[in-house]
Formats: sequence, structure tokens, C-alpha cells
Amino acid sequence: MISLQLVNAKAGSFHLTDVTFDVPQGSYGVVIGPAGSGKTTLLETVAGVVKTTSGRIMLGGEDLTAAPPERRRLGIVYQHAFLFPHLSVQQNVEYGALSESIAADVAERFGVMDLYERPVASLSGGERQLVAIARSLARRPEVLLLDEPFSALDPRTRTFARRQLRALYYERRFTVLQVTHDFTEAGLLGDVAIMLDKGRVVQKGTPEDVFRKPASPYIADFLGAENVFAGSARPIKAEPPDWLETAEDQVTEMPVAFTTGALTFYALGDVVSGPAHAVIRAEEVSLSAEPSTSSMQNQFRGRITEIVPAGALTKITVDASGTPIVSAVTARSVRELSLGIGKEVVAGFKATAVHIC
Amino acid sequence: MAPRKAAGFLFLMLAALADTLVIFIAASLTKPMQPALDTFSARTGIVVLRESGGSLEHARKVTELQRIPDLLLLADADVFPRLLSPRYTTWFAEFARNRMVVAYTAKSKHASDITSANWYELLRGKDVEVGRTDPDAAPVGYRTVLMLQLAERHYRRPGLAKALEENAPKRNMRANAAELAALLAAGELDYIYEYQSVAESNGFRFVRLPGEIDLGDPNRAAAYHDVATTVRGSSPGTSMTVRGEPILYGMSIPTAAPHAAAARRFLEYLMTPDVLRQLRAAHVDMLDHAIVVGPGAPPELTRGARR
Amino acid sequence: MELDASVLETTPPARQPSAVLRAAIAVVVALIASVFLLFVLAPVVGLVAAGGGRGLSSLARDGELRASLALTALTATIATLLGVVGGTPIAYLLARRDFRGRSIVAAAMELPLVIPHPVAGIALLLVLGRGSPMGGALYAAGLRVAGSATGIVCAMLFVSAPLYVSAAREAFAQVDARYESVARTLGDDVWRAFRRITLPLAARGLTAAAVVMWARAVSEFGAIVILTYNPKVASVLSYDRFTSFGLSEALPVAAVLVLFALVPLAALRALRRERRA
Repeated sequence: MISLQLVNAKAGSFHLTDVTFDVPQGSYGVVIGPAGSGKTTLLETVAGVVKTTSGRIMLGGEDLTAAPPERRRLGIVYQHAFLFPHLSVQQNVEYGALSESIAADVAERFGVMDLYERPVASLSGGERQLVAIARSLARRPEVLLLDEPFSALDPRTRTFARRQLRALYYERRFTVLQVTHDFTEAGLLGDVAIMLDKGRVVQKGTPEDVFRKPASPYIADFLGAENVFAGSARPIKAEPPDWLETAEDQVTEMPVAFTTGALTFYALGDVVSGPAHAVIRAEEVSLSAEPSTSSMQNQFRGRITEIVPAGALTKITVDASGTPIVSAVTARSVRELSLGIGKEVVAGFKATAVHIC
Repeated sequence: MAPRKAAGFLFLMLAALADTLVIFIAASLTKPMQPALDTFSARTGIVVLRESGGSLEHARKVTELQRIPDLLLLADADVFPRLLSPRYTTWFAEFARNRMVVAYTAKSKHASDITSANWYELLRGKDVEVGRTDPDAAPVGYRTVLMLQLAERHYRRPGLAKALEENAPKRNMRANAAELAALLAAGELDYIYEYQSVAESNGFRFVRLPGEIDLGDPNRAAAYHDVATTVRGSSPGTSMTVRGEPILYGMSIPTAAPHAAAARRFLEYLMTPDVLRQLRAAHVDMLDHAIVVGPGAPPELTRGARR
Repeated sequence: MELDASVLETTPPARQPSAVLRAAIAVVVALIASVFLLFVLAPVVGLVAAGGGRGLSSLARDGELRASLALTALTATIATLLGVVGGTPIAYLLARRDFRGRSIVAAAMELPLVIPHPVAGIALLLVLGRGSPMGGALYAAGLRVAGSATGIVCAMLFVSAPLYVSAAREAFAQVDARYESVARTLGDDVWRAFRRITLPLAARGLTAAAVVMWARAVSEFGAIVILTYNPKVASVLSYDRFTSFGLSEALPVAAVLVLFALVPLAALRALRRERRA
């Protein structure tokens, strides 16, 4: 568990002011914020690399505010691997590992055992990051800190890494705090979303709360997605082919069924069955009086519950069998369709518009 | 571009702007001589460029680096016959005296007890740090040795010279008077064998030594001549015998001096009563008239000088 | 529609002038670099050419020269070791920690470079000489600073340590602090992370810094000659021979010193290349 209470810290030109949030034990926390908001500083403060000037940091129920990093039982993976260049891959993975066999185990999972004898300099960027992730997990940390770990990876490695990490996370249930500047990169929206801006927590809550009810227009703009649904996803076809066989830069996108509340969406993605979030931008949801015969795979009937003008577009919330779907349409469309509170409409969106994370 | 050429170029440039006078001057004379140099420069408009250093260093600049000044003012007239004549100078003039003393400060051990009667006993003691100049490096060094020999005779103590020499060991030796003085001032040494002019201009206390041994009286030249010591010769592996001589400052205008006329004007100014008085007040024991040795000296000096 | 053929003519070959300009700049830069290199190398080569042969051949019979070279090597090495031991922590702190007064400490470490060398010698004498509190205590304990090899080491250390600290600081700065952060989370305390990660990664830079310090120590004259004239290090001997015998005797000493300093410098170069392979 990670708990920060009124934490202030400063590192160079980055600072944190009165940062307070909790990520429950075994939960997945995502920190979202623009560049320069202090995300990396936050991770390094939790890690103990950056000293707090005031506030408390609790990890796993223990007050570790004054504890040095080596006693915090956590792992950190940066955007770049930072593999120790003067050591071999094996020595890197085993650095600080609980035992050689545990290290080998983790290395196996992330597919880097074959690289054991290689010098670090000969590895590709993707291989390095996999080694770095394995290295941090070989120590069986209770808390894992991730600083946009997948953003520099090619799509194939990214998918593989995400999947292995997620699997391990479900197995071991350590607490995760992942930093990202773009939720689509996060891979897993997690249980707790924390919006960071200029070193302050501007909003926190479940991803649905933060995305659907952004606390300010700025956050809304930044997130850019009004429809966030918690539910479960499962691939419709049989298990996707082994990812190793796909082309280097392509990811297999299989049809997925996502169920939330009473609704089931069709989506495309590479998912494993289990809990997930579906995110749809309001602009991708169109409204019509009757279901259309177009290629829109998802169409749901519902009643309009809210109409909010927002600049050039108007945001219309439709209640479809108890699930609110937000659509953004032009003022002209509002007139043409004579949209008003209580009117029955059909909200539709393509399967490609549904982002599963 | 060799530094010599660059320096030469600079000289030429300055010479083109105004008449200049380049003086190689002994370190111990620099401070006392500065007012005279400034006044001369102000009165005549001649730019005076002075270089301060040890007598040997100046000599080497002339003989090795071919840097010929307009005037040499050295603390040891010895250097002229030894190194500079006849190739670079044909004459030199002795113009001031000096003598050996034992210099010390208030911080020195036994500072309150030492007198001209007991100095040679106190300076034998193992509890004092005594320093002197390297005899191979500078004339004041071998003059110290000669003075100690004269002391042995004068006080009738066989073995005194050697004992005192050994009690001023190599680690307490320095290459020139200025560095030795610095050590005394810093409290690193208790006593040094030094020229009186240096002791005075540094504000040290000193023990006045008998005229028979201090190499300061030109009238005692014959007696001084009785002692001798061997020092390193002018080429490696050779050695030289030097005998006791009265200590005299020497000056000369090198034969190839670029601004000989300006140098002569300065010498004329130097020997005027006002300047003599000022220099004496600055602890330079000026002779009333310069003693010229060798041919070719300018009339400004030979006029009224003794041979 | 008739095409205006003149459109095709008036288009000038856009690349040519700038290619000429680039070539011209390259030539000028190469010329300047060559002149500069010559300026630095020529006196050294000239020195070795003028005195190297005689110097080396005289080594057999010139005991004073041999002793002086040995003393120079020994004292410079001791001074460098002391500088590395004392300066490395300071360099690390300056590179990593942003503490109050950091710029003052950094500036203070560079001050000895600004002080004229004889003045530095006197300053050391005032602090370590017999007449000072610290020096007096050392003297009473039997440790003589002035007039001994200790004084030589002190003078060398004072004038050359700043070079080491500044270069070592840069070497540490080149090692990304995040390597250390990662090592810390993997269980290393500050010292262990420094030893296992930072030091090996900075080793090349630190070695280069130590070499620079050693070279500087070997060549020092002004500060040493005040503190310790006897026994004579090579620079003092060279000057002594110049004043006593002239250039012809001074050059061989300096030439031998240069040749003899080439050995450790070249050896270290070879070592670094080896490590890279």
C-alpha cells in the first residue's frame, strides 16, 4: 500500500506541494499529468531518492518517510532501462535479487534468459527495458514504481511487456504506481487515478470519476475522454495467435466483447479475459433517431438526461439501460434532431472507437 | 614564436614610443632604489623597466638568453669578473658596501640573550634552527662560509666554522637571500646569516659582527683574503676556489646596451648627494665615490672616482 | 499553354556557394588547429631534441639527477594519492548534492589555482611552518614540513588538488544519478551503490583526473622551492643548474623529466584502451 500525506519535496526545478493520496494494498495506481508536472519527482520521492521536506510516506502500513531507498522494499523502472553498463545482463538481473533462481524465473517470464550472457551494449532498446523490468521484479518488491516504462518500446515489445507485467501483478498482487502522460499508454487504468499538475494533486479518484467528472476544463481537455466504463473484457475468438509470430511492428487486434452494467460493446484489442476499462471519446459517439444500418457495431437506445454546451460542441448524456454514454455533437445536429431532455435516441459508435485498457 | 622574439618585439615597440631604460637590479636593492627610479623617470620622461632578481640569475639572462639590459645593478660585484667580462662588460663599478650579520626576530629562540659576544656559541646549539644560502647558488652563500672561517680564527675556536656550518644544514638552505628572509619572517628559522641590507630592509633584528670577520670593511681586504673555500665551478664537475673579499655592490653598462646614453644619465643621477642620502636612509651603504674596475667606463663615473 | 523556358534558366544551382563556404571554413579551422597544436608541441619537442640525448646519457653518472627524479616521482605520487583520497568525496558531493554553500566550496577548491605559486608556498609556510599553531605541533612531534619531502608533498598537493577535484566532479556528473537510484532500490546503501556502480562507471574519468594532477605536481616549482629547496626535485634542480651553469646544463634535466613523465602517461593511455576492448 502507498499512502502520501501532505508530502512536499523539491528536486532541482521540480517540486511537489502537499501531495496526498492513497493506493490501497495490491491496487494499481496511475498518475497522470502533463510534462513537467512532477510525475518523476513523485515516483522518486516515494522511492526515497528525493527527500521530503515535510509530510509522511507510508508504505505497507509502515511510516517510511525517513527510510533510505534500500529499506523501502520497492522497485523502480524508468522510461529508459538504466542497465548497469559495466555488468552483464545476468549480473544486472541478479543485482539485488532475492536469489539466483528467482531472478532466473523472472528473466524467463520476460523472455530475457536468452540474453543472459550478452553484454548490455549489444541489446536493443526493447530488450533492455525487459531486462530492467525483470531486474526490478527479481527482488520481489512490495511496491512497483513505473515511470512510463513502455513509452519508448516498439509496439510488439510493448504488448508483450504489458501482458507479462499484468499477469505477474495479478499473481503477486504487489502495489503499483505507474506514471504516464497519456492514459492510452498506461495499458491498465487501474483502481486509482491521480491527476498531477505543477506538483499538486488536482484530482484523484477512480478512473471513472476522474475521466467522467473532471474537476476542471483543463483536466477534461487533457484527458480528452468522457466515457470511461469499468467492466470486463473477453476475446470473442479463440486465444490470439502467439504474439511472437506477428510482424515486428504490428499488433494483432482481435474482436473483444466488453460488458459493463447491462451493455456489451464490441471492441478491438489484444486483451486477456478479466476486468478492464473501456474508454470512448465523446466525439466518436453519434446520435440518431433510429438505429442506422451503417457499420457501427455498437448501437444502444436510451434517453437524454443532460445537455451541456461546450464551445463548438454540445455534450449530450444518454442513459442506455442504466449506463450513461456521453456524445459530443454540433449545435446544428442538436437543432436538426430536435434534441432535448427526455428524448429517446440511439447512441452509436464503432468498435474501433472503443479503447480497452 | 619564441618568447625571446616576442619580448624583443615588445621592447622595440616601447622604444619606439619613448626612450626606455632596462635595468636588471638585485633583489635587495629593488625596494631602496624604487624612489630614485621613479623620480628619474618623472624628470626625464624615460620609461624605466626594471627586472628584479638574484645576481646569478641576471648574469644567466645575459649569457644564456642574450638579453642585454642597459644597466646592471648587482649585489655581488664578483659576478662581473666571474661571468660577464670581458664578453659582455669591459668595466664595472663598486658603489655600495654590505656586510654579513646574524639576523633574527623577536620570535627567535634566545632572542633576548644573543649578543655579538655569544652568538657563535648560541648558534652551535641543537635547539635553534639556523639557515643560510646555498654556497653553490649565490655569492652570499659562500661569503657565509668564509665569514665563519674568519670567525674561527678571530675567536680562536678550532672547529667552530665546521660546527656552525653543520648546524645550518641543507634542509635549512635556500637559493637566495629573499627566500631565506621569508623563512625567518615566517618563524620557520631562528637565525640566518644574511647581508645587513637585507636584514634591515626586512625589519629584522641583527647581531653586528666584528669588522675582522664580517667582510664589510674594504680596508681589511688583505685579512679577508686569507680564507678560502671551494664551490661549484661554472661548468659541471668543475670547482672553483674563492677567497674572502670585501662585499661590494657592483654596476655596469653592458657593451651592447641598447640605450647606453639613458643609462649614463641615470648613473649620473644616482651618484648625486640627494640620492645617496636617500639610499643610505634605506639601508644601502653607498660609497661616496664609485670604485671603477676595468677600461671603458663612462666619464659620468670616472669623474671624481677613485681607481 | 506555353511554358516560360526562362523559368528553368534562372534557377541557380542552390547548393554550390554554401559548399565552397563550408570547405573554406573547414580549411581555416584545420589551419588554426594545426597552428595551435604546433604551438603546444614545438617547445616540448624542441626541449627533448636539445637536451634529451645528453640528459639520458648523463643519468648513469649523475647521481644528483637520479636522486632528484626519484624524489620527484615519489612525492608527486604520494601527493596524487592523497589528493585522490581526499578529493574524491568532495568531488562526489559537489556533483551530486545540492547543499547550501555548494558554490562557495566549489570556488574555494579552485582558489589555489589563482594564487601565484611562490605566494602559495609562503601561505603554506605560514600555516604549516614551525611558527604556526598546527606546524608547531607537527614540529614538536618530530614531523618537519619545511626543508623535507613532506613540504614538497604539501606544496604539490595544494597546487594540483584543485585540478583533480574539478575533473573528478565532472567524471561523477557524467554518471547519471538514476543508475544510483536504481541500485539503491535494489538494496544498496549509499556506500555500496557508490562502490559497485558509480565508481566503476566514473573510473575512466577519475583516472584521467589523477593523471592530470600527477603531471601538474611533477612540474611545480614556485611553491615547492620556498618550502623545500633541499632535497631538490627535478624542477628545482633544473633551475639551480640554470643559474649555476647555464642553459646547456638546465635543458637536459628538463628533457629527462619530460621523457620520464611520458612513461606513466603512456602507460595509463594503454590501460584505458585495454579496458575499453
